[in-house]
Amino acid sequence: MKIVVCVKQVGALGDEVEFTDDERDVDPDYLDYALNEWDSFATEEALRVREAAGEGEVVAVTVGNEDAEDAMRRALAMGADRGIRVWSDELAGADPITVARALAEVVHAESPDLVLCGVQSSDAVQAATGTALAELLGLPRVAVVTKLDLGSGAATVQRELEGGLIDVVEVDTPAVLTIQTGINEPRYATLRAIKQAEQKEIEVREPGDLGAPAARVRRMFVPAKGEGAEMLDGDAAAIAGRIKEIVDERMKA
Amino acid sequence: MARDPRHDILFEPIQIGPKTMKNRFYQIPHCNGFGSEKPMSQAHFRAMKAEGGYAAVCTEYCSIHPESDDTHRVSARLWDDDDIKNLGLMCDMLHEHGALAAAELWYGGPHAPCMESRCVPRAPSQIPSDFEYLTYPKEMDRDDIREVQGFYVEAAKRAREAGFDIVYVYGSHSYLPQQFLTPYYNRRTDEYGGSFENRARFWRETIEQVRDAVGADCAIAVRMSTDMFLGEAGTQLERDCLPFVELCDEIVDVWDINVSGISEWGEDATPSRFYESGRMLPWQKAVKGVAKKPVLGVGRFTNPDVMVEAIESGSLDIIATCRPSISDPWLPRKIDEGRLDDIRECIGCNICISRWEIGGPPLICTQNATAGEEYRRGWHPEKFEPARNADNDVLVVGAGPAGMECAMILGKRGMRRVHLVEAGEDMGGGMRWIPQLPGLGEWARVVNYRKIQIDKLKNVEFIPSTRLDAQGVKEYGAEIVVIATGAYWATDGLNGCSHDTIPGADASLPWQLTPEQIMFEGKEVPGERVLILDTDGYYMGVSLAEKLAREGKKVTLMTHLGHIAPYMHFTLEAPNQHRILHKLGVEIVPYHLPSKLEAGRVLAGHVYDEEEHQHEFAADAVVLVTQRRSNEALYRELKDSVGIDALRAEGITGFYRIGDCEAPRLTADAVFSGHRLAREIDTDDPETPLPFKRERRVIEREAVPA
Repeated sequence: MKIVVCVKQVGALGDEVEFTDDERDVDPDYLDYALNEWDSFATEEALRVREAAGEGEVVAVTVGNEDAEDAMRRALAMGADRGIRVWSDELAGADPITVARALAEVVHAESPDLVLCGVQSSDAVQAATGTALAELLGLPRVAVVTKLDLGSGAATVQRELEGGLIDVVEVDTPAVLTIQTGINEPRYATLRAIKQAEQKEIEVREPGDLGAPAARVRRMFVPAKGEGAEMLDGDAAAIAGRIKEIVDERMKA
Repeated sequence: MARDPRHDILFEPIQIGPKTMKNRFYQIPHCNGFGSEKPMSQAHFRAMKAEGGYAAVCTEYCSIHPESDDTHRVSARLWDDDDIKNLGLMCDMLHEHGALAAAELWYGGPHAPCMESRCVPRAPSQIPSDFEYLTYPKEMDRDDIREVQGFYVEAAKRAREAGFDIVYVYGSHSYLPQQFLTPYYNRRTDEYGGSFENRARFWRETIEQVRDAVGADCAIAVRMSTDMFLGEAGTQLERDCLPFVELCDEIVDVWDINVSGISEWGEDATPSRFYESGRMLPWQKAVKGVAKKPVLGVGRFTNPDVMVEAIESGSLDIIATCRPSISDPWLPRKIDEGRLDDIRECIGCNICISRWEIGGPPLICTQNATAGEEYRRGWHPEKFEPARNADNDVLVVGAGPAGMECAMILGKRGMRRVHLVEAGEDMGGGMRWIPQLPGLGEWARVVNYRKIQIDKLKNVEFIPSTRLDAQGVKEYGAEIVVIATGAYWATDGLNGCSHDTIPGADASLPWQLTPEQIMFEGKEVPGERVLILDTDGYYMGVSLAEKLAREGKKVTLMTHLGHIAPYMHFTLEAPNQHRILHKLGVEIVPYHLPSKLEAGRVLAGHVYDEEEHQHEFAADAVVLVTQRRSNEALYRELKDSVGIDALRAEGITGFYRIGDCEAPRLTADAVFSGHRLAREIDTDDPETPLPFKRERRVIEREAVPA
């Protein structure tokens, strides 16, 4: 049983933020870095699949520069067996499709029985990489998975829909599943596991042809302050009535 | 980070007499146990606040003459030239940080027991103190009045010589000038008693004389209580205080306004149990309404928005803080730098005050383990030396106050990795449920402050919902292990009175309960009649009595002591807590200890009854607040079963325990314990505290005749 789990090191904003000089990204000085929350659930799920199978390997894959190895080490400390980091300078600030292309090549070469990603990353919040990866690999995919029962050659999974609905689907494996938070309780790494993870192998690979970017960031900025907001008072019915009035006024305008 | 412009007004300079405060932050007079006889501790303690941005910092009450000797409590003293030298150091250190130094000149009258000086205090009338036992003053005649006014003048000159910028003629808390103003103390029929003009005469004359002596060089401050809550007999705002402000405004440079007398001065130094921040603002605003001179006052202010509101609403010109400045001497600086979530907010527990009330020991603080340790241990609340063994990983087991503090300070000292592992789902230990007791909500700040700090420290990781056993600790991979597993309330009635368990006591029975069973585990208190046995003596028994009585139970509170919760006298919580329990109909049974607990009844005897008569108390439920015991199972297993050698073999070079897990104690002392270990984690023997500097006179034997 080989499971590939795709992980990302994400930036978290503190109280203040500045942009880089070219205004195309957040100045890294204002970011704290960590393993993406969704990916820690995906990693935990991968470890549980391996443990249930009683054998196998969990391979963590990331796209990022050397600094991104911290997040990879966290997945390794949780119990992933080895890591692969894909990087070239052209991946700096890459869009999700390009990232998926970089991942697909590596994942394909591993011939995994299952591929797990987080639903989305907490910094970019596009929820696109996992789905794009499935398309590039030609594998079936299920997004926003909240429960996984792996059988032989197929899996029964629950996926979360809007409005609290749950859809139960059968999916052939190998497949790409994007994992939702709350599916499990990610384990903490002991200090010993963290130290051992420092010794684990992280293979670094160059991506092949990444193709043309699917999207690019033109400018990041703090939106200008608009007009003062109107605070609505009263009970629910009164507030709803006032909202309807406002909407009607705007529709006319 | 930068200051929020909303708080700019707090940083505007203000003129008081001949002096200028650089901002609006003022440390009100408050005791610390150092006085003028531990001058190094005194100076370093006050200077920390000046370093933290306070524009002016005051002494504690500062005695002007041996007739005003508060021993057994510790005041500062300006009796002679040596006191000038000792307090002069404080002035110099404050000035180095650009702060003004203030001296609160104090004559106590009947409240000063003169246990060291053996002098006789003087007072307007010969009535013994309502605060002290057996202290009778001499009733002052006109010569006495002139003489005592001379004491003020001479002390003010000594204050000026020491370097003080502000001198007080202090009345609040029922001291001599306010005694003259107040019928409760002043029963005179001469020109110093009776009418307002007569009652105000002593204070006004004294202010005039002090001003004539030092007013060109020093600002003259007057601290006045504007309501003693004693009805007609006490000082009254409208009748006495506002006219006094109008009478003396010309000769006073700054008014320091509070409320209360001395016997219930918790109405001024308000416990958070009963009062929120800013409780005295209505009185302060009333004075501000008639005073042309700046008004300052306390209100346990920790929130800059509340401070700004106090100024903008016309209640205060200067924000005075006492307890918040102990809890965080860098309060102004943190507001100035926009670091609001770094403020260690006072929780209003008054454990600081308890040390003054006890008489002698240095103050302590639940939130700030470094309070009082600035000189004697060299601890700075905001600065931390990188640990010499910072390349070690640390496992702290248990995230109560001691464990949180230890992990936080180890993080600030730059340890490579600190893992704070907790069996429960959140940080806090006992402090997760103690703030749910009546009135104790602000105590949760102990947890919240540390939680925020730990979250900011990249090298500290909090790991909840993980109960480690000895094997788990051994194999965790840390080089340093700190056990902080706290304590629990005894389930068998073991207590410090009989030094034995109580027959029939067993909190596994449905009708017997411990505090944490009620507050944390949700165990139901059966029936209507509850007997709480309190041999602990602090807040737990009375808090549960209040809680259960409010829930409709008929509560009996039994203690072997003569008073319930005697420690709450020291924290100034006792009077109002007694009022609440009385109002709720809680039956107090002092001097009794149960001999047997049975379903439906408790048999108890008077502790001084040699014939051991037993009385029956009906009770459907019994709450055991007898004593706490350390949760030391994990520590013992690691030390005794696994063994230190086996831990060493795993690479564990340091193995310690802190806080209640070693011995149950005050939260302030549990926090101190965690802080102390973290400060000294890189000494040769971290388990043993380094000696602290003792300020004492050491004799040269050769120079002393046999």
